[in-house]
Amino acid sequence: MDRMEKPADTEANIVRLNKNGDPLGPNSEIGRKLKQYYEDIVSEEIPDRFSDLLSRLETAERSKNEE
Amino acid sequence: MAVSAGFKADLISAIPSLRAFAVSLAQNSDRADDLVQETLVKAWDKHESFQMGTNLKAWLFTILRNEFYSQMRKRGREVQDSDGVMTSRLAVHPSQQGKLDLQDFRAALEQLPEDQREAIVLIGASGFSYEEAAVICNCAVGTIKSRVSRARTRLQEILQVSGEAEYGPDSIAAQVMGSPVHG
Repeated sequence: MDRMEKPADTEANIVRLNKNGDPLGPNSEIGRKLKQYYEDIVSEEIPDRFSDLLSRLETAERSKNEE
Repeated sequence: MAVSAGFKADLISAIPSLRAFAVSLAQNSDRADDLVQETLVKAWDKHESFQMGTNLKAWLFTILRNEFYSQMRKRGREVQDSDGVMTSRLAVHPSQQGKLDLQDFRAALEQLPEDQREAIVLIGASGFSYEEAAVICNCAVGTIKSRVSRARTRLQEILQVSGEAEYGPDSIAAQVMGSPVHG
């Protein structure tokens, strides 16, 4: 099986999407990779330091308000 | 006025996309997380200046971006200006049978000047409109459009992506700038 990577309608889709003004749409290879790159980071677990930080900020504010 | 629980929850839910934007700017996950931390502290301190009902995500991205550039200036690093970047500094990564490896993509993205990189990330991945990206980057909408276009063209050159170059950036650039982009 040596099928081509791209389905036959890919190029047509690229043309159509770009006419709609989305050069980074789902049929743009650059657009797809960019989203994959970004989503990989977005889906990482949030480091504890950030929830710790917000808790500290909250505690600091509460004690400030109680003064 | 105290920081509301809702504001805190909104900050927490913005962290993943702030991290992704920070990594794309700083290209180093430790520095990126420092940027996010600084952004959260600033957002907390300035929460009263945030207008409820407006776009919190865009507001946070603006803070993060300003922090990034101010840190760069403090380090004495010159901010890259895309006009001065020559094509010759780009190493060519041959793509394997048209399949783009994510590692290659990351390396290519790192070669873009900051202004182009942030523009293409904001538009192509963060989900902002051109108008929102222009506010975040404090520039004109047309400037964002041309940066995205140039970024895309350059990524195609570096990665030797075929099959989309003829459709995209030049026609957009022509609409924006009234002439084809060189480069």
